[in-house]
Amino acid sequence: MIAFEGLEVRYGATLALAGATLELEPGIIGLLGPNGSGKSTLLKTLLGLIKPSAGHARVLGVALGGADLRARIGYMPEYDALVEDASAYEQVAFWGELSGLAPAQARDRAHEALYFVGLDESRYRNVSGYSTGMRQRVKLAQALVHSPELVFLDEPTNGLDPDGRNRMLDLVLKVRAELDASVVLASHLLGDVDRVADQLVILDQGRVKAAGRMAGLRRLLTRRFELRFLDPLGPEQEHALARLGTVLESRNGLYDLEFHEADGAAAFAWAQDQGAVLVQLTPRHDRLDEVLIRALKAD
Amino acid sequence: MPIYAPSLAPRPAPGQGQPAALVLLRFDLRRVLRQRLGKFFGFLFAAILLGLCIQLYLRHLMAGRGALEALRPLADAYLPQGARFQAGLLNEGMIAILWLQAAMVGGGLVARDTLHRIRPLIYAHPVRQRDYLLAKALFATGLPLAVMLAYIFLPWGLSLAVAGGAGPVWPTAPLYLVPAALAIAALMGAVTLGASALAGSPRSGFGWALGIMLGSSALSFILAGALGSPGWLALGLGNLTKAWPGLVLGVAGDGPGPVPVLLGTAFHLALWLAVARYRTRPDGAVL
Repeated sequence: MIAFEGLEVRYGATLALAGATLELEPGIIGLLGPNGSGKSTLLKTLLGLIKPSAGHARVLGVALGGADLRARIGYMPEYDALVEDASAYEQVAFWGELSGLAPAQARDRAHEALYFVGLDESRYRNVSGYSTGMRQRVKLAQALVHSPELVFLDEPTNGLDPDGRNRMLDLVLKVRAELDASVVLASHLLGDVDRVADQLVILDQGRVKAAGRMAGLRRLLTRRFELRFLDPLGPEQEHALARLGTVLESRNGLYDLEFHEADGAAAFAWAQDQGAVLVQLTPRHDRLDEVLIRALKAD
Repeated sequence: MPIYAPSLAPRPAPGQGQPAALVLLRFDLRRVLRQRLGKFFGFLFAAILLGLCIQLYLRHLMAGRGALEALRPLADAYLPQGARFQAGLLNEGMIAILWLQAAMVGGGLVARDTLHRIRPLIYAHPVRQRDYLLAKALFATGLPLAVMLAYIFLPWGLSLAVAGGAGPVWPTAPLYLVPAALAIAALMGAVTLGASALAGSPRSGFGWALGIMLGSSALSFILAGALGSPGWLALGLGNLTKAWPGLVLGVAGDGPGPVPVLLGTAFHLALWLAVARYRTRPDGAVL
């Protein structure tokens, strides 16, 4: 669905994307990374707004830069890109027309898109009087009005309270389930991506640090355990831990290991073999943030 | 109350819509008409036009249609007077108000998109930069042109209606004024578009447009005075828009002359369209 190779974008002397290479399949893709990591730049490059200085990319099987491709994509920007002196209905219809819909069709679909995002009753009011959550939903409606095959959502939960955030993430799932559109969700919030995405891309300083299916990442996480022994391990025993798995971190007699196999019982066999007493074996299945931190730390 | 489907209808076939430039143009027009500013200028121009029409009508009424019929040979002698009257339809005062309106409306065209940060979103749709610029340029040019065309054709039509073919009017005079109106509107459109592209808000767009117009006029007077050549007056936008009606009707007074006016118009069109093109490029919209 999206494939890019050696994609490089520069803002003057600043390298915003440094030779990113990736291939993504249809679904909900979480684009994760700290602020300034190149998430928005990647989305804008894929939309053809920014010309890459090197590399090439294909979106929905089409090379970047064509206006026709943008008719098949919906884009919800991070910032507040609303026409303040127009109603939600009026501007969503406008964006629909701009995406290539006939005027009557755009008007009909503006109603439907606003109903879809839950703004049915207030759609004739000027957006200047809208709350942050409503404004975010108008932005989502404008991205969906032409039923795109692919939707780019740039920080859709920005500025939302927990309830609004949940509703927005529910809508993201609804977009995939009901509209059969693939979604690229750029966020710096791990929780958002964790909840909705089935693929994950971690970006930092313009580089792809990690990428893969969430199921694969979770499988990887099932091999992570925290181990504590009754007595501190000697240097030889610590060295022998490599037989069990990769030591990711050790502090105060607590060892964070990624086992070679997803089998916690192997730890007891190892302890018996090494003459150590294992007093704690804690699975760390739910620590997706560790993946993020490790990916960001890795150079 | 209408009942809507629980979800969006299937994806429509692409390419059924109107050209992007036309969609943008219509949206801008609706935005301007909604504002009090649009209503104010509409009322102002309508009031002045009404006054001119009443003046014209009374003049013909007092002269009397029958008397004019009898004075047919004399009517030919009125031709230069007719040209002056026609040129006076686009007089200095009216052009000044038009500049004010163009600066207020045109100055906000691109700047409003910048302020609301919707230009990157526009470019995220199947819209090319030339569509965007075409829509804005058509609007910025079309608005003053529509006002001027009303000023050209309505009094002329009224003259014909009142005096008939035998009246002391020069029937083809409006046709001469149309190219002048086009040149003036193009200048106003290009300058306000460039000014709007330089600004971050409609208010500063108005300031930029007015500043460019007044600044270029002041500079042209300084240069013409210092170098002793009236040709330099064509550098001033105010002088250019003032010179065009007289030039095309052959009743130009002391001014920069046709060649400098042509060169000055071409210079300003090229400069301000280039500014607008540079400031509205898609990659610039996202920085």
